[in-house]
Amino acid sequence: MTDMTSNTPSRSQSQSAADEGAGREEKRLGFALTLPAQLLVLFIALFPILMQVYISLTDWSPLDGIPWYRAYELWIGLTNYVDLAGDPRFWSAIWRTLIVMLICVPVQFLLGLGLAILFVDEFPGRRAMYSTILVPMMVVPAVAGYMFFMLFQSGGPINGILSFLLGSSVQIAWLSDPDLALLGVIISDIWQWTPLMFLILLAGMLSVPQDQQMAAVLLGAGWWRRFFTIVLPRMKTIIVIAIAIRVIENFKVFDNFYIITGGGPGVATETISIYIYKVTQNDLIWGYVAAIALAILIVLSIVSGMAISRMRKG
Amino acid sequence: MQRSLKFEVFRYAAIAAFLALSLIPTLWMISMAFKPIAEWQSTGADLTWWPKNPTLDNFRFIFGESSSDMISALERTAGRPILASLLSAGFGTVIAMLAGTSAAYGLSRFGYGGNLPLALVQLRLFPPMAVMIPVMIMWAFLGLIDSWIGLALIYGIVTLPFAFWLMKTFFDDMPREIEDAALVEGCSRWRVFLRVTLPMMRPALASSALFIFILNWSDYLIALLLTTRDWVTIPVYMASLSSSMTGQLYGAKAALGLIAAVPPVIMGIAIQKQLVRGLTFGALKE
Repeated sequence: MTDMTSNTPSRSQSQSAADEGAGREEKRLGFALTLPAQLLVLFIALFPILMQVYISLTDWSPLDGIPWYRAYELWIGLTNYVDLAGDPRFWSAIWRTLIVMLICVPVQFLLGLGLAILFVDEFPGRRAMYSTILVPMMVVPAVAGYMFFMLFQSGGPINGILSFLLGSSVQIAWLSDPDLALLGVIISDIWQWTPLMFLILLAGMLSVPQDQQMAAVLLGAGWWRRFFTIVLPRMKTIIVIAIAIRVIENFKVFDNFYIITGGGPGVATETISIYIYKVTQNDLIWGYVAAIALAILIVLSIVSGMAISRMRKG
Repeated sequence: MQRSLKFEVFRYAAIAAFLALSLIPTLWMISMAFKPIAEWQSTGADLTWWPKNPTLDNFRFIFGESSSDMISALERTAGRPILASLLSAGFGTVIAMLAGTSAAYGLSRFGYGGNLPLALVQLRLFPPMAVMIPVMIMWAFLGLIDSWIGLALIYGIVTLPFAFWLMKTFFDDMPREIEDAALVEGCSRWRVFLRVTLPMMRPALASSALFIFILNWSDYLIALLLTTRDWVTIPVYMASLSSSMTGQLYGAKAALGLIAAVPPVIMGIAIQKQLVRGLTFGALKE
């Protein structure tokens, strides 16, 4: 029992005690405790990815009547990947996903930052308003999708409000016009996730120490100047995290888009997840889907690997 | 810090405007849920903002009662999908919390599983759509398609990263002196974990579990792919609530949407202090 003599509960203690008798128990326990998570990760990562590589090299579909492991009978080599490179619907889905991201994330960031500035100090009603602002992000995304589906009906409340504001009857067919449909789904995304930006940015803003700001006040620095020279630079990490989270989630976006427009009209709101879903469920060419999925996984791994190693250095 | 009166006015006005915009969609759904069928399709000048003849018919309808206005009673009612959502999200939370908490403790205290933090971040990063083909094949092989157990298993895996990272930050923050004292008393490591550490972590465990339940409850895509009929969850069932005879069952969908939306909103507000920690993988603590 080395713990009795050395009263320094430091993090390296568990390592240094590992060669003692108690160390063996720790080793066993540490191994046992982390085992379920390791197995789950293997179960969902290693095997599926190997399977995916295999299927992506074949022309297999669940309709072929042969089990997936005999997909080699339909071996087509890299054909799926060649097809993918020249598939305009795939590239336009990628492009559309990026456009959605490039609009949603900055708008959410600016709105969230502006709101966070308003909430940074105490005022009557702050707590209740704070909780109310968070409501949209806790609504089930599929339900949020349905809310906006109702709102955008041509006889629905959005046209109702516009009619009221403009003084004449507005009958915009939001969801059957390609451009407006895209705008509509973007609005639903901004509605739902601005509160998340607000929540994270406010927490970050509140964690900036007050003393420096006080000193700056004493030196006569105005509010904007304090904000841009002291507060914002200190929030750098948090801003990166908040934006990264939204970029990642925006890339996956499916639920609300699919419910509002089903990817339509035509392919006007077809993001990458909706595209993959449709090829999976409607076209059932799973060999091709595996190739798409794998291509995306590889690109994401490279991008995220670079981002993580950069963040570790910085 | 002192702010001018002008700023205070601006602040309340800006927040009020934002709140109004952010509440309209939710309020519209609530209003829709209590409207009789005659008011669903009101348009233009007749647009009914608030139900003129509020009714619970929509709620009765989705639970199988046929009301005079609706064409016929539903063949499949909302009861089963609600049960499916509860079971799959609940047990998914149990799986994620069990595996995540123990792994977080193993790493935080004994330095085991050093690969897990990064592996789990990457797991979180990938769009679920990009691994669904193998998952659908595996689940079909295991006989888990269209069962709540199958959904619970995939939910447990998908939310494992959150459980792990959340609990890891809580364990890292916890002072070790109490555990050390119990060790000195002669307790085994395992007993310390079960009898000393976990009871102390009760609030952290509760808020993490609620957070993960919200995430599981919110899923649509995975349930859409892995369930077909018997165990469809609320969002999947909701999309099916329209028929060629009746068209969109606006009120019925809104009623179901309201039922689906209430639990996570209440839970989310209850754990709002921990939300930032959960959503940022513990990078930010409030």
